[in-house]
Amino acid sequence: MSVQTSTVITRQEALSLAIEKTTRLLSYFLLIILAFTFLLPLYWMFTGSFKLQQVTMSVPPEFFPTHPTFENWVQLFNGPWPIWRWVFNSVTVSLLTVVLVLIVSSLTGYGFGKKKFPGSNILFVILLSTMFLPNQVILIPLFLLVRAWHLTSSTLGTYFAMAMPLISSPFGIFLIKQFCSSIPDELIDAARIDGASEWGVFTRIMLPLLKPALAALAIFTFNQAWNYFMWQLVIAQNKFQYTIPVGVSIISRTPSAGKMITDIGLNMAGGSFGALFMIAFFIAFQQYFIKGITFGAVKG
Amino acid sequence: MDKSGTDMNKIRSLASEFRKGWTGYLFIAPGYLAFIIFMLAPILFAISLSFYKASFDINARQFVGFQQYTLLLKDSVFKRALINTIGYVFVIVPTTVIISLIVAFLIDPLGGKTQAFFRGAFYIPGVAGGVVLSVVYLWIFNPTYGLLNYLLGQAGMKPVMWLATAPYSFLAVCAVVLTFTIGQPVILFQAGLAGISQDILDAATVDGANALQKVLSIRLPLLRPVLLFVLATQTIQVFQLWEVIYMLTGGGPYNTSTSLVFLIFQTAFINSNYGKASAIGVILMFIIMVVTFIQLRFWRNSDI
Repeated sequence: MSVQTSTVITRQEALSLAIEKTTRLLSYFLLIILAFTFLLPLYWMFTGSFKLQQVTMSVPPEFFPTHPTFENWVQLFNGPWPIWRWVFNSVTVSLLTVVLVLIVSSLTGYGFGKKKFPGSNILFVILLSTMFLPNQVILIPLFLLVRAWHLTSSTLGTYFAMAMPLISSPFGIFLIKQFCSSIPDELIDAARIDGASEWGVFTRIMLPLLKPALAALAIFTFNQAWNYFMWQLVIAQNKFQYTIPVGVSIISRTPSAGKMITDIGLNMAGGSFGALFMIAFFIAFQQYFIKGITFGAVKG
Repeated sequence: MDKSGTDMNKIRSLASEFRKGWTGYLFIAPGYLAFIIFMLAPILFAISLSFYKASFDINARQFVGFQQYTLLLKDSVFKRALINTIGYVFVIVPTTVIISLIVAFLIDPLGGKTQAFFRGAFYIPGVAGGVVLSVVYLWIFNPTYGLLNYLLGQAGMKPVMWLATAPYSFLAVCAVVLTFTIGQPVILFQAGLAGISQDILDAATVDGANALQKVLSIRLPLLRPVLLFVLATQTIQVFQLWEVIYMLTGGGPYNTSTSLVFLIFQTAFINSNYGKASAIGVILMFIIMVVTFIQLRFWRNSDI
């Protein structure tokens, strides 16, 4: 009797275990299909960069390059485009933006987060109200400013011009302010009693504590500045001022020499080249990316 | 004696308040100055520009009152762009939310490394950027040797001129944008799911709830704050959609895939019509403000 009951339970358990296993398998299957679909364009681009022009236009398409060629990459590196200059431009503009945003956000965020002064609330609300505004609105006045100041006539001016719309990041100031508010006042008071100056409190107490927030903000800003396409496109006047995204877009709009059609292989090499930097960057700093995204949205 | 003591204290506290305040102003000064120069003043200047007729020579601008706005109301391209932009929001945002929710639920039970791998896989198209992705989509959407038409042909469907016929160009833009918008919501939803305490779920299991019931009546409702955050950020992002349009369709055919921001780009930086472009920008700003305001109200209500 008791033996029978136990076998029944085992059967039920076995059934639910089987269901669980099947759902797990099915969900894995679905997940792999979804991931495959979303990564397919990147796969197509990377493999396409190793295909000859006639192969890229063949029907049916080659799912894997059977006769891989480096011709597109050679053309990309030895062609008329100064692509290493574009890399340099993109890196410089992004780093410059990051440095300026970190300075502005840490100082201002600390000021709003830990200092009490008349008018601080209204000043902060004005700042915050611009956080959700479409950035394109400010590009027209800034463009006129860049033109009036002749910023693009010098290399340094061009870099500064490209960083301009992102410098006063309301998101960055907000993030640092929130982070500062979570740091107990006792720490600051203790440092003051020990004789630290206002500046000393900021540099020696606050900045080290703000490090994780600043790191996440730096990564977020770098990515944002790198892909700030419209403004870079407007500012860059010649091929030596292009950034990676601008250069990639220009290649895709330029028919290759002697042909009336765009060179697909070259385009894929250019796109892959552009994608590689940010993908490597993402893989290296993945946890900061995720911290930056989840900050403020998920209580954790 | 006692009174003068409190007076002294008052003066002292006021003085210290001032001193504290003074350093506060000093700390925010550089950042706030940058904010005024590079954000606030440009916004105000753009609003004022929208009341002018202004072209390449900005100093020769003429005040025209609300003329830019009244002209826009009659402008068929603008109307098209406005309708399309709202269409993009209504197609892309819900699709993004649904797919990223499914993905988040699928990767939630996975272990550390596998989970990180899949999370990364969905985020990577986003870091590659819209421009880079558009380059490969130009090829994929090609009517004669593109991958998509080949795959559709294998399934017995007729080839489509994806980027040159309506409504396919609109749908093509939606598809491209989807590939790089889901990364962020996947991470947010997954973090939200990971934040749900195991005790609640265990209690539900004891009460006899199955997996589906747990999803529908516990995990989804608890994700509500994250969901509203995702909705707000995605809506704002899609309202500003333009680079994929610039790369793939140029707004065509016959403006059926154009958007407000693409129109701003064309009007300001190709046609140098700064007054009109500013007016479109102000309208977009107004729409986004209203939508954000409504969503924030929902957000606040859900927190109670």
